[in-house]
This record gives sequence, structure tokens and C-alpha cells, in this order.
Amino acid sequence: MIDLRDVDLDYGAHVVLKDVSFQSGKGEFLGIIGPNGSGKTTLLKAISRVVTPSSGTVLLDQRKITEFSPLELSREIAVVPQAADPGFDFSVREVVRMGRYPHIGRFGSEKEEDREICRRAMKITKISHLAERPVLAISGGELQRVIIARALAQEPNLLLLDEPTAHLDLGQQMGILQTMKDMSREIAVIGVFHNLNYAAHYCDRLILLHKHRILAMGNPAGVLTQEFIRTAFEIDVTVRANPFTGRPSISPVYEPEGMKRNCGRIHVICGGGEGADLLQALHADGCEVTAGVLAVNDSDYRAAKTLVIPCISEPPFSPVTERSLGELALALEDARTVILTRGLWGAGNIGNLRVLESANIKKVIILDRWAGEEEEWDYTGGEAEAILERLVTGGAIRVKDIRSAAAAAKDITGGKQCTD
Amino acid sequence: MQKREAVLILLLLAVTASILVCTVIGPAGIPFLGLPEDESSSIILFSVRLPRVIAAMLVGFGLAAAGVVMQGLFRNSMADPYLLGTSSGGALGAAVAIVFLGGAFHWVLAFVGCIAATFLVYGISRRGGRIPVEQLLLTGIAVSMFLSAILSFIMYSAGKSLHQIFLWLMGGFWNISWHDVWVGLLIVPASLALLLFSRELNIFSLGEEDALHLGVDIEFLKKGLLLASSFITGIAVAIAGSIGFIGLITPHLMRLVVGPDHRLLIPASMMAGGILLVLSDTLARTAGNEVPVGVVTAFFGAPFFIFLLKRRYMG
Repeated sequence: MIDLRDVDLDYGAHVVLKDVSFQSGKGEFLGIIGPNGSGKTTLLKAISRVVTPSSGTVLLDQRKITEFSPLELSREIAVVPQAADPGFDFSVREVVRMGRYPHIGRFGSEKEEDREICRRAMKITKISHLAERPVLAISGGELQRVIIARALAQEPNLLLLDEPTAHLDLGQQMGILQTMKDMSREIAVIGVFHNLNYAAHYCDRLILLHKHRILAMGNPAGVLTQEFIRTAFEIDVTVRANPFTGRPSISPVYEPEGMKRNCGRIHVICGGGEGADLLQALHADGCEVTAGVLAVNDSDYRAAKTLVIPCISEPPFSPVTERSLGELALALEDARTVILTRGLWGAGNIGNLRVLESANIKKVIILDRWAGEEEEWDYTGGEAEAILERLVTGGAIRVKDIRSAAAAAKDITGGKQCTD
Repeated sequence: MQKREAVLILLLLAVTASILVCTVIGPAGIPFLGLPEDESSSIILFSVRLPRVIAAMLVGFGLAAAGVVMQGLFRNSMADPYLLGTSSGGALGAAVAIVFLGGAFHWVLAFVGCIAATFLVYGISRRGGRIPVEQLLLTGIAVSMFLSAILSFIMYSAGKSLHQIFLWLMGGFWNISWHDVWVGLLIVPASLALLLFSRELNIFSLGEEDALHLGVDIEFLKKGLLLASSFITGIAVAIAGSIGFIGLITPHLMRLVVGPDHRLLIPASMMAGGILLVLSDTLARTAGNEVPVGVVTAFFGAPFFIFLLKRRYMG
């Protein structure tokens, strides 16, 4: 229905869109995502004919949009802006009725049918109770619903949303987006999103714009990958499938606080959830961290993945293999420091300790949070305890909390904070 | 719907009443009721007062209508008909006529000045076939200042004509004849033309881009409204000079009474503007000993405007 073919658009020497082609039609909620300045809003404006492409064509039902009269176009396309700014104090009902202008024109008069369409639009957007209120006296969320009702009163075949929930609270955002999703069963809806999770959840298909071009287009799972997001937004994220919806769910990996440190690499041998907060703390401190060997069902493994910490891994419920132990030996070779958590040791993971001992590293820190408690932790018949004893004898430091572990790690590595 | 019609009918009655009452009021002491008995009374009533009252009514119509349209177009209730340099253009035209032509054709030149100033502003603001409203506003201010500078220079070197220019600038109806009324009647069809755009003006109040999405041909709308309102303002200025505050306050006042819907606001403001100007002029020629009516409108208008502003911020 809407069909963009090789659309280029520039403002003078400044290129805003390059080679943009896609189609969308009835029954689809298409999301446009991308960093600021990638051309998202301009793309919407090209479709709604606010701006004219410098080359390429925009077709609506196989007809160039430039051939439509203003009234004709407004019967086809309605636009919901980021926020409305009513200049004068019309009532909610009056503003919604302005949406009928495309059908009534300058000299026509409102019929009962028009009023009924407005009533329905207000019902869908849940503002019927506000009908008589002045638009300057309602909240931002309510006003946005009024504008959406007005757009629905236009009875468009294509609804364009330019971040329609940008200024609203969470509840309002979800309510409005759900309404839009419902609408998309009957008409085509194209929306610009900043929130990738909303885009993933509500849209059937996504277009990722990057540097004025389409970087990726397809279903949310295909577009919202770590790689595409890194390329477009220059951030690291973790992408997981939402357990309820199966749609991708994106969480950012937060930048370390304070300065980046160059203290050499710290390798963490952990497991059973003992290392998760340590990894988080070291990462937040700006240290270069590696971890492993960990089984992929271990919560420490998931923590490492979330923080994008390189991790040597094994399949779930499997003993540590020779191959991973070889990787561990390599990883330990040029690590400045090793931090070992005194977790639970058994036949499956004792290999880690053996490799650590044979690597003969002097800078070893043992994080022993449960020192003095009588609970059983060594299920290897004394081997794990013996290795730990020998490590301590060999110069390993025993600490009781993460703060001391991190401090010791920095001390051993030279104690200098590098400011680069 | 009921209320709308009631307000309009009430205003129409008030228009008629103020024309009748203000015609019989005056320093000449003509009996209040009944037809004039002698010829001089008849001349005062029908050749002096009646045309003057009707002209004031028409000018009030025009200024208020142009004021409403300007405020709608600029989405700003601080806008007035003189925003785009019309008053300084008109004043310059009149001053040129007074100084160089001994006052002949001063109303023609005032009209030409108004229209020329608008076209100048429009021409400067135009960018690739479009006229951004903000550009229009700023250009209007700059052009007004420029024309005022020329006007000041003319006044500075005007010598004996200075008093005449000065009187003109303050605006007034002391030299009105039926001839002015005939010219002023042009305001009525022009204002009604504005009324045709009232639905678009309503939509325009939500912003230019929104109006575009609702199918309003915004460039045509802007051109049409600017042309019509500068024509109206030009005629008003040609008849009575630039009278302030009517075009600013009346739309404000009527928006409080009838709401922002231009289909109702334009006719209601026109009538209210006419009534206010007729009353002001009556006050000017009776109690005020023929002070220029611009003095009266500003004297009462400015404090009233401040009151409205305060009220708005309090509410």
C-alpha cells in the first residue's frame, strides 16, 4: 500500500536519507528505529509529504503521493506527532472533530455520521469522559490521546506515529501503544520508536536506520541483535527472549563508573553464583576481566554474559573438559591476577583448581566469604581444600569481601590507577 | 448552537443600539427623541454624526476581524492587525502625503503604504514558495522599525506639518464624510471572506504541521488570510489612522465570551470591535473635547489588557 522506492533526501548539502526502499500495508505495525539523526522522523515526513525526496518515489496505492490533493492525502494518512501544542482553548470534542475536516472540507457541514465517528474514536482512545474539557486543562497523556482520537477520526488507511509516547509515563505509553497495535489489524501503522523494547514488543516488523540508510529490516528478532545494535547505537547490549512473549528483550550494559583502569587483566574463577557480584564490581571499576570455566547454566555465567565479559564455558551439567582447561591455562598465562571464589568444589569443576595450581601464578586472591562457617564446601575428598592451602602457602591472599578482593587485585597489579 | 445564536443576536442588537444612541449623543444638544426640527440639527445628525458613527463601526469591524485572524495565524493572542508593518507603512504613506502633497490623497497613500508594507514583509519572508510564520513575524518587526525610522525622519524635517502628522498617527474620526463610509463598506465583504477560512483557522491553532496533516492547504491559507487582513487593515487605517488596541483586545475579550471557534469568534469580535470603537469615539468627541480616539482606546485598552493578562496567569 505504501511503497518507497530508492528514496534519497537531503537538506541542501546535508544528506538525510539514502537509498530507502520498503513497503508496508494493512495489518502491519512497522517500527522505525535508529539513533538520533539517523533520519527516522524525516522518513515519516517523506511519507506524509511534509518534505519532498530529492530522488526516488513514494507511492500510496500505486499512485505517487505528489499527485494527491491536500484533502485527498489527509483522508489516506494521519499523523500523530510527539506532542501537540494547542494554541487556543478548544474543547476535546472540538479538537477531535477537526479530524473530520478531510471528509467535510471548507464548506460542508458535520453530519450525524461524522459525530458518531468522533464518538467512536474517543471511545477507542478512552477520552469520552473528557469531551467537554478544554484541551489546555488536561494532562499531557490525555492530550496525546485526544490527538490520536483526532487522527482516528480522519479514518486513515495509514497512521504515522512520531514517537507518540515520548513525553508520557510508563502506563500511558503502554496503553497508547496497545491501542495502536489494535488499530494495526485494520490499517497500516508506521511508528518511530526510541525504546527498543517497545519496538520489539509491539511491532511486526522493524526498520533499523543507521547513517541515513536502512541497516537492517525484518522481524524484531532479526533486527534487534547485539551486532546490529552495536553498529547503530555504539553500545553493548544483551538480548534475551522475553520469557512470556518470545520477543527480544534488550538491556544495556552499563558503562563502568569512574575512570577506565589499566591494571592488567583479572581472571575470575567462580561458580554457583559466588562470582556474579564480584564480576559486576570489577567491571564497574573499569577493570579488564575474564572468567571461567563456567557451565552455561551457572548464574555466574549469565552475569558474565550480561556484562559482556569473555568467559570460557561448558554445556550445562557437564564436567569441565580438557579443551576448556586448555583454554583456561591459556587465559591464566597472561592474566595479571586471578581471583578465586571459595564456592562449592566437586568432581565437575576441580579441574579449574588443578590448572590454577599448575599455572603457578603468584598473584592469587581467594575470596572466602564464608570463612569460619562450618558448612560443607569441599566435595572432592579434601583435594580442593589441600590446593587452597597450598595456594595460601604459596602467597595467595585470603579476603573476606569483594571490596578487599578488588583492592588487593589492584594492589598486586601495581596499585597504580592509569588514567587512560 | 442555541447559545451561539443568542450571542450573535445580542451583539447585533447592541450594534444597532450603539449606532442609534451614539448618533444622538453629542455636544450640540439635539433633543434625544424625535426627528431634528431645524436644518442645522439635521446636518449635524445626518452629515456629521451618522457617517462618523457608521465609519467607526466599520473600522471597528475590520480591526477586530483582522486581529482575530492575525492571532489565529500566529497562534499567539498577542498578535494584532499591525503586526506585519501595516501601521508603520500606512503612517509613512500618510506622512508622505501630508508633507509632500499638502495632505491630498493622504488616505490613498496610507492604504497603499499598508498594503506595500505587508507585501514587503511577505516577499522577504518567502522561502522556496513557503512562508514560515516565525520568519514572517520577525520580518514584520524589522520592517516596522525600518519604516518607523523613515517616518521619524520625515516628522523631524516636517516643520509646520508635524502637528497634522501627529494627529493622524493617533487616529481619529473628526473628518469623516459619507464618502469614507462607502469606502469603509468594503470591509464587510472582506471580513466575510475571512469567515470562509474559519474552519481552517481552527485547525491551524494546533500548529502548522498538524494543519497540513489534516489536509489544510496551509500556504494558500496563509496567503489568503494575509492578503484579506492587510486589505481590511489598509482600509481601516486609510479612514481613521492607526487606532490601537481594538484589534488586540476585542478578540481576547470575545474568546472569553464565545470560545476559540473562529466560526463564531470572527463575527462576534467584529461586532464587539465596532461597538467598542463607536463608544470610544463618542467618548472622545463629547467628554474628551475631540481628543483623537486612539488616545481613548489606548487609555482604556492598555489597563484592561493588563487586567486580562493578570487574569490569565492567575487562572
